[in-house]
Amino acid sequence: MLSQRELERYKRQILLFGEEGQERLKKAHIFIAGAGGLGSPVAIYLATAGVGTLTLADMDVVELTNLNRQILHYDRDIGKKKTASAEEKLREINPDITIRVKDVTIDGTNASRLVGKADGIVDAMDNFPTRYVLNETAVKKRIPLFHGAIRGLYGQATTILPGETPCLRCIFPKAPPKEVFPVVGVTPGLIAMVQATEAIKYLVRDGHLLTNRLFIWDGKEAHAEEICVERDPSCMVCGECREQK
Amino acid sequence: MKVKVRFFARFRELLGTDIAAEVESGMILAELVQGIARKTPEGYAAIFDERGSFREFVIVMRNGKRVGSAETATTILADGDEIAVFPPVAGG
Repeated sequence: MLSQRELERYKRQILLFGEEGQERLKKAHIFIAGAGGLGSPVAIYLATAGVGTLTLADMDVVELTNLNRQILHYDRDIGKKKTASAEEKLREINPDITIRVKDVTIDGTNASRLVGKADGIVDAMDNFPTRYVLNETAVKKRIPLFHGAIRGLYGQATTILPGETPCLRCIFPKAPPKEVFPVVGVTPGLIAMVQATEAIKYLVRDGHLLTNRLFIWDGKEAHAEEICVERDPSCMVCGECREQK
Repeated sequence: MKVKVRFFARFRELLGTDIAAEVESGMILAELVQGIARKTPEGYAAIFDERGSFREFVIVMRNGKRVGSAETATTILADGDEIAVFPPVAGG
């Protein structure tokens, strides 16, 4: 049941999703992998929308060079753990939800336990090896993975529903090379909004998800488009061979 | 026959986009893109490795369908084909 305060707080989006949709958000648990450029706006907007439980995982410390884009962290937070900084802000933004933080590096040994019983994973990582771990976890648990990635003024996003859509490995069998990527905050801001919108739609069961399509944003040209993506039957993570095992 | 090559993101910066090409029948996909990419050494190096194969992470599509990196060297183009070459990004 939604409290009077919640009915008031979410009044304008209850007009969109109904009380039933808001209840769904309240009961939901989303795991956000990373509290950086993508993770900050995703967490802020999912908290604002009233997603009942958010778990954020990140092991980094706030650095001055993060502050052009990682909007959960302020100048005063330099040197502080990102999880502590994020938790403080999110509790202030919405004291009616549960915020959990995990000060840890996500890897193949702990991902499943960290994600726990979450209803979905937001990929807010900055590297593909960890994304692949999240992908395997999502496939194993049969929960969605809301993928996003950026570089400079370019970004991409897609929603992965294991068993129904291509997984991250089907779409990106090989990782792009590792680099110190250029970035201005508006790009992760924009891609994070696509991811957060997808997570909300999935939870309230509204609209059409960004499935089987890769959304591509070209901020330089102010141009968005999408390409179709398909399952790879021989995918090492979600392919038929794997499913038969 | 006519085909179109579309580069995305950083590849677009280096090589332009929506490049219409007049090609002879029998033209192989990888050879066409190599020819266009040779316009700039940086563009070529971003897309192809030392052996002239598409770099492993580059996504190549033909009329909206994915073409695997090995298949790009054997795929014969047809009139009206649209080829998309896209570099995934990894930052967050």
